[in-house]
Amino acid sequence: MKPLLFAALSLLLGACTVQDDPVFDARSTRLLEVVSAENEVSPYVIAAKVRTGKDLEGACLLLDSLTRDRSIGGMFYAYSLIGAYLFTRDELPDSLHAKVRQAFRDRTMYRGDTENHWVMYYTGLYLAAQTWPGEGRDAWFNGKSSEENFQEAAEWLGHWMTMSATIGQGEFDSPTYITTFLTPMIVLHEFAEDHVMKKRARMMLDLLFADFAAEHLEGNYGGGHSRDYPEDIINPLGAPSTMWAWLYFGKPEFAQWEEARYRPRNRGGWETAFGALGSYRLPSMIRSMATDRSEPYVHTETKRVRNIIRLGSEKNPPVYKYTYVTSDYILGSLHGGILQPIQQHTWDVTYVSAKPNNTIFTLHPYSSGKELAMFFPEEIKFLADEVDRYHLVYTSPDKWNSSSPYERTFQYRNTLIVLYNIEKGEIQPHIDGFFPKNLDERVQSEGWILCRAGRVYVALRPVRRGEWIEENVNWRWRSRHLKNGVIVEVGSEQEDGSWENFRASLRSTQLDTSVFNSALSVSYRNRHGIDMRFSFDGIRMLNEKLIHLEDYGFFDGPFIQSERGSGRITLRYGDQSRTLDFNTAEIIE
Amino acid sequence: MVIRSFLLACLPAFLTPVLFGQTDEPTVYVSVFSTKLFVVGAANPQTGMFYQKPSEDTAWHHTGAKNIRANALAVFPGVNGRIRYTASGNGLHRTRDGGQSWKITTGWRITELWAVALDRTDSMNVYIGTAYGIYKSTDMGDTWKQVFTGFVSCVIVDRFDPSILYAATEIGLYKSTDRGETWKRTGLSIDRTRTVTQHPKDPLTLLAGTENHGIYASSDGGKTWEKREAGIDHATFYTIAYDPRDPSIVYAGGYATGVYRSTDGGISWKRTCQGFEVEHIHSLAVDPVNPSRVYAGTMGAGVYRSDDKGKTWRAVGLPGAQVGRIVIER
Repeated sequence: MKPLLFAALSLLLGACTVQDDPVFDARSTRLLEVVSAENEVSPYVIAAKVRTGKDLEGACLLLDSLTRDRSIGGMFYAYSLIGAYLFTRDELPDSLHAKVRQAFRDRTMYRGDTENHWVMYYTGLYLAAQTWPGEGRDAWFNGKSSEENFQEAAEWLGHWMTMSATIGQGEFDSPTYITTFLTPMIVLHEFAEDHVMKKRARMMLDLLFADFAAEHLEGNYGGGHSRDYPEDIINPLGAPSTMWAWLYFGKPEFAQWEEARYRPRNRGGWETAFGALGSYRLPSMIRSMATDRSEPYVHTETKRVRNIIRLGSEKNPPVYKYTYVTSDYILGSLHGGILQPIQQHTWDVTYVSAKPNNTIFTLHPYSSGKELAMFFPEEIKFLADEVDRYHLVYTSPDKWNSSSPYERTFQYRNTLIVLYNIEKGEIQPHIDGFFPKNLDERVQSEGWILCRAGRVYVALRPVRRGEWIEENVNWRWRSRHLKNGVIVEVGSEQEDGSWENFRASLRSTQLDTSVFNSALSVSYRNRHGIDMRFSFDGIRMLNEKLIHLEDYGFFDGPFIQSERGSGRITLRYGDQSRTLDFNTAEIIE
Repeated sequence: MVIRSFLLACLPAFLTPVLFGQTDEPTVYVSVFSTKLFVVGAANPQTGMFYQKPSEDTAWHHTGAKNIRANALAVFPGVNGRIRYTASGNGLHRTRDGGQSWKITTGWRITELWAVALDRTDSMNVYIGTAYGIYKSTDMGDTWKQVFTGFVSCVIVDRFDPSILYAATEIGLYKSTDRGETWKRTGLSIDRTRTVTQHPKDPLTLLAGTENHGIYASSDGGKTWEKREAGIDHATFYTIAYDPRDPSIVYAGGYATGVYRSTDGGISWKRTCQGFEVEHIHSLAVDPVNPSRVYAGTMGAGVYRSDDKGKTWRAVGLPGAQVGRIVIER
């Protein structure tokens, strides 16, 4: 009876706005069945329980606990509490209406210091001020009236959307933090009464999902990431983005969603419940962009560095991304250097596999107070320890996420060159490579480290030697040379035929390191006869032609095109096109 | 409220203690930036502004917003703490009724505040230093104008001439002679100048603390500077405080310093760490009523107090706290 009740409720609520998407609805129903059966004090559980009609009494008790727990506050609370409230308010008793309202009076909603914090904070503030209009300054935690709060939140959200659509997000393409952008936009789209804000929230959802779709493969968020946690970097399908991919793209299978949602940092993956409850429906072309891998393609993007507040000359320098996508793997890279503090993931190859840890990459594990001071205003000498208190691995020599000033990349299709130029005296004078233990083959031959994972072939040729260190799920390749580099070639059964063919093709490559010591420069002819010349100082040449990263475009690939600064982003699939014009808040199809 | 603020600004100083119930015992205010218990997005132990009377020893009272990472504070003098500001990542929090109600007076354009300074002759004038520059308000924070661009750690208003201000910035010490409208770099161009303090009786004498470069002194209002090295074995100083009654006595603290004390106006120094659990000192203040009593705010071990002019120290509460600033007001 209960699923039927929910289905009926969904139809009733969505009749006017929701496009038919029975496959999405089926996944939503399944998700809400799982989430509504939980009993954690979580706004998502509360919303799921109430909206499925499963346990109103239990939901009310949980909401009561949520509003009583004075140890929580801040941006995560601000948007999720108002989201849960707006999804459920018609079912709540008066006492709970009053308690939720009181939370926005008594609880300090800290705004935080990152892009995702502000999106959550101002979305919460916008919807709360909209919900309780006309109230005076003494009715709000920050001493501002409903109108002042609404105005401030609307202004900042508009500013953020414009930034995101013109120079890109600072916290871009994050398998973890995508949740903290998608979920607020889902509730904003659902409940904003101003039709322009509602439409812009919808456009942001289209943009965030399309941005993900272009670098998506069977639930994996491929390529370089601004921010990610080590456990998700070494096991891409464990990231929160996997749960969003399952719900909206239909990939991977439900079992993978089940596995991912129990990982500690994913908080149960229950934010996706807001997606399941909301009326936003992904345009089918974006789902096709995420799943059609019939042809390999190159996708480039320009994002931006998070605000540099000191020790830099430009506030938001560009970040250049290059991603090569096939039906079997994604090879992607950021251009290198410090582009995001703490959690940057510069490059990897991520491949389709039934096994976990389906990725290979290298990095230099850099950490410094100076790096953090570029982005955070706290005292430089304390920053690294402070960050370590909650990120735990920041100063570790063995960490798997890092933004290093000593790393640069140059990619062309499925060939990548990574150069390292570690300063003398650097506290971590080594580079590391991640190689999962569950590879079908890992051998060293003629200077190459050759890996086979099912139908995918990965070859890495280090410029300098390294050693192998055994770890729990992986082998760590570590090289202690300060000047170093790695050539990466990726292929597949589909592209190369047999594993032997792939290995044989490597014999046609030519690596010239004659000026490596003096100029930190390499010349490389890849197995397709393409000449690549790359110097750490930034010279990238392809068949003797200079590559200008500025030519990458804001988005440039078969599925998304946009010029940086234009505010117009065009999505394409087959003969369909959808232009998101953030200048006029129009969607042109 | 506006009328009262206007009156406060206009009242002769000798009347305010009578009108606002001032007592002999001063009040100590501290801004707590973080504590060891803080986890972003998950645990929010109380931070923000705390206060006590010295006789309360280790007991502190919280006031205002509860988890705002407060880097600095300011108290308008002579009105018994009725007008107070807390500078935080959320913005500038203001009370005009002794903490009964608070308002964030800044919007989304102003963030990451590290300093707040008041014009003691006119309560309307407020200056804040942020990671993005200096902002000026002439209406107690209701509206703001950016007057300087760059990372600012500390702003002070000249005690004797409120048209003069000093700002410690990432690229040296700056000075304004027109109430903050325009700024010029002084003779101190050391990167990451972190703090500046003015002599309580001689307006031209300044001491500045820097990151990695020690303490500098000027006796001509900032035109020229001399490094102070005698007795100093540390390089990073976040705070310097004069004894208001006897300015020959000066205290300084910073990274792993404990507290340095000078008895010759900052020419030579002697260090003490006695009693400190953590030797990182971010803020110092001398009790204007009883200058034997000195407070030190640490980075991670709360507040310490000396009752013998800085010779020995003991913890007086807020364990685990990173204390941004201390202000003592009668």
